[in-house]
Amino acid sequence: MLIARIAENRFIFDVPEVLRTSVLDLATQLDDELDGDNDMVQRLFPTAYPDDPEKEAGYQILARSELIDTRHSAIDTVRASVKEVEVDGETLDAWMRVVNDLRLVIGTHLDLSEDEGWEPPPGQEASHAVYRWLSYLLQAIVEAQLADDVDYLDDL
Amino acid sequence: MNVASQAMPLEVADPDLTTDEDVDTDRPWQVLVWNDPINLMSYVTFVFQKLFGYSIEKATSLMLDVHEKGRAIVSSGTRAEAEHDVHRLHAHGLWATMEKTDGQ
Repeated sequence: MLIARIAENRFIFDVPEVLRTSVLDLATQLDDELDGDNDMVQRLFPTAYPDDPEKEAGYQILARSELIDTRHSAIDTVRASVKEVEVDGETLDAWMRVVNDLRLVIGTHLDLSEDEGWEPPPGQEASHAVYRWLSYLLQAIVEAQLADDVDYLDDL
Repeated sequence: MNVASQAMPLEVADPDLTTDEDVDTDRPWQVLVWNDPINLMSYVTFVFQKLFGYSIEKATSLMLDVHEKGRAIVSSGTRAEAEHDVHRLHAHGLWATMEKTDGQ
């Protein structure tokens, strides 16, 4: 796998097909749940005003539908670019947000903890494996963007 | 993400059009990001750079505060500005809240 900047707004996106299609499969499931009230997706809509229910209600009315739309749009971008081996920055950003959303949903479901000795609940080992390769993919996407913008010039 | 701010009634150009005390810029709000066990440290650092234009040093320092102290103040401003930042952080899956700087 290689994700790397090759121009100011251009990235090599050499990701194995099985990872791409798996991300899209999971994202398509998420797409279907975003508008519902499934507890699985609650982590994607945090509280802005934990001490003020009235302001919080106002925030949710304004923000939630747009947070949903933003996520639908990012999933659409992933779907449209699932076979691309080169992507622009906006497309890579959409992949980043979708992969992280999937990690948030799966990690919350696993009740993931930073405590040493944490292990996935019995029967959830496969979900944990998925979580880990999503983390691997996310790390690669972030590193490609964090890399100094002028690094690619060295290779010209 | 600009659509939400345009939809916010607090961003009216003429402050006389509203009597909401929270528009008062003399009582700023601060945006906090809280530690969670899922978001990667590299991802959090990158999001701070992307959303706020912070240097790698500042973004890393804030991320470490979140990780080690449990939370960090990442921005501040009027209520509308803070809510806009919270919204953008939520769009990136970060656990962000906002509160008045005077603690009320």
